[in-house]
Amino acid sequence: MKGTGIRIGIICGLLALIFTLFAWRLIDLQVAQHDYFSLIAAEKHSIRIVIPAHRGRILDRNGEELAVNIPVRTVTADGTHIRNPETLAALAAPYLDMPVKELAEKLTTQRQYVVIRKEVSEEKAQDLMRAMDKAGLKGLYLEEGAIRSYPNSEMLCHVLGFVDYSGHGIDGIEKSFDKELSGQDGYRMIEHDRKGREIVVYRGQEQSATDGSDIRLTIDMGLQAIVEKEVDDAYKEYHPESASAILADPNTGEILAMACRPNFDPNHFNDAKPEQMRNRIISDMYEPGSTFKIVVTSAAFNEGIVDENTRIFCENGHFSYCGKVIKDHHGFGDLTIPEILMKSSNVGAAKISLRMGDQSYYDYVRAYGFGEKTGIPLQGEISGLVNPPHRWDKLTKTRMAFGQSIAVTPIQMVMAMSAIANGGKLMKPRLVLSEGEGSAVESVPPVRQVVSKKAANYIATALQRVVSSQGTAPLAHIDGYTVAGKTGTAQKIGAHGGYLEGRYIVSFDGFFPADAPRLAGLVIVNDAKVGSEANYGGLVAAPVFSRIGGKAARYLDIQPEAAIAMAQSGNADTASSTAKIR
Amino acid sequence: MNGNRRRPTNSIQVNVLARWIVAVFFVGLAGLFFVYLKNQQHAVGDQARLVEAAISEIEAKNDALKARITAMTSRGALQRRLDEGYLRLEPIRDTAIARVTPPLPAEPDGVLRTASRDPDGRFGAGAPLRAVSR
Repeated sequence: MKGTGIRIGIICGLLALIFTLFAWRLIDLQVAQHDYFSLIAAEKHSIRIVIPAHRGRILDRNGEELAVNIPVRTVTADGTHIRNPETLAALAAPYLDMPVKELAEKLTTQRQYVVIRKEVSEEKAQDLMRAMDKAGLKGLYLEEGAIRSYPNSEMLCHVLGFVDYSGHGIDGIEKSFDKELSGQDGYRMIEHDRKGREIVVYRGQEQSATDGSDIRLTIDMGLQAIVEKEVDDAYKEYHPESASAILADPNTGEILAMACRPNFDPNHFNDAKPEQMRNRIISDMYEPGSTFKIVVTSAAFNEGIVDENTRIFCENGHFSYCGKVIKDHHGFGDLTIPEILMKSSNVGAAKISLRMGDQSYYDYVRAYGFGEKTGIPLQGEISGLVNPPHRWDKLTKTRMAFGQSIAVTPIQMVMAMSAIANGGKLMKPRLVLSEGEGSAVESVPPVRQVVSKKAANYIATALQRVVSSQGTAPLAHIDGYTVAGKTGTAQKIGAHGGYLEGRYIVSFDGFFPADAPRLAGLVIVNDAKVGSEANYGGLVAAPVFSRIGGKAARYLDIQPEAAIAMAQSGNADTASSTAKIR
Repeated sequence: MNGNRRRPTNSIQVNVLARWIVAVFFVGLAGLFFVYLKNQQHAVGDQARLVEAAISEIEAKNDALKARITAMTSRGALQRRLDEGYLRLEPIRDTAIARVTPPLPAEPDGVLRTASRDPDGRFGAGAPLRAVSR
């Protein structure tokens, strides 16, 4: 009996030990190593799929689409699911526009993820899937994607920019507002069965995608089309190195249209040359020529150095100063400030500048925004070149008065003219009206008051005479509206310094209606091939401004100021005076 | 002679048995129902997946069509068709313009109106109502 009891005790002990070991292992698996084994199990069956966010659109101020997304599919293959690569290749090749042999080679693989073709259209991709289902084949899968499309092709290309292969902005608004446009991809944790199909019941954590915001620009495509057409015509007519035009609202600083030639198609940006892709309105600096006379005259009037009664003796067109001669196209005697602007007298402008202190004059130039970036939300803006007084020689101030020894960008120049138009306030150029649905359209305060309202109005009135039969720009006249503006004709500077003979950058910078300005604009034609005797701002750029302004006024339905009959009689004056323009 | 003449037997307690049968039946039924619901859940899940795929496909097609319409009606495309002669711009005669709203300037609300130029103010606010004959 004793022996039997011992045997029973040993067996029970062994059994207890075995069960203890099992229990310990069970606890080890289920508790101690729970996370580790859960992870292995999840890796086998759970995957994290990305829910792509849609890139926001770019719209004009009226909601017209300027940049949109076209859904496309990326076709991928799982080699382990493909039984017969040749059959699958023969079926899929026509849908993918690929040779059967090349496709068959790609499909003959044991890799689980092979990209077969990108940017397959939605229709073709779905047709391919249906054909595969019908034939009982598997192994090809679709991934969501989109390509960026610019429906207006070249129009507004320098403002819109473009995106790279991954859908991120490279230039223009696409780059400046890439974060807002991109949105945030979402994700979903899913489990799948042996065939790779999602088991919806075990769908896990999900974060939905946040689509990118739509960006609404201040650009009005109606005006943009007008500007594009006229710049294009000028580019074809004068064969210049470049031509640019910009329209802005002088009261708010909103940019309504902006065009440059040469340009490019952002849908095929790889084909574009660097000079086509440059937005010359913000990234090119040039000597503004006589358009810059608005700065010295308004500054001097604001300082009280000159007034309505001031007459400047213009030395009959030859002014010797510090061993150099400043010339006018015609010899003028005594001229008032409006006459100096109207006749575009270099001598008169230079002599006004000499009445001003160096630092004071420099401060006004800077106050108008020259020598600093305007802050327009586009890549590649430059600040221009304004030397401080300690770097000036004795001639610099006189040269600056008529737009030499200084370099500005077109956007700075149009903002300066806007300041004259709106009563002396320098506005920041605004290109984006709102970001996303429901965001408020806020008005932007002026950067600073540059000159008094009285000084600005005085210069604005004087500039109206520039666009008269006695001024330099009668061809800038717009029927039914009073135009104020200033011509500029500046000799081009060579790559190694010095002026180039017979090559000019001509411009017209103006606004209208003069009494209640709605539009300010600048037209620049760089090195027009028209011969020196006709290469003037008043003859080349002013007519372009006039055509843009006339069409823009009709488009915006701006109430005419003068009766049509009067305007027509003014035209007769204009025609007769054209021959006199220099 | 007074002894119990009934044979000694194990009686079946029908009540207890019936209770167990009913309990097992309901447990079984619940189990089957659970399996049925689970299958239904998977079937509905599959349907949901297919519907989601169909919606996604339709959305993508819709987006593709919208992009195509945008491209076809863009200013560049319309200008091209105008240049090619497929489209023609016909000026609207002044007599064909009906001014039904008083002319308003564009500035206050930012809405730009066409065909609202009315220099004589004939249709402005306060203008007398006139009978219209055809």
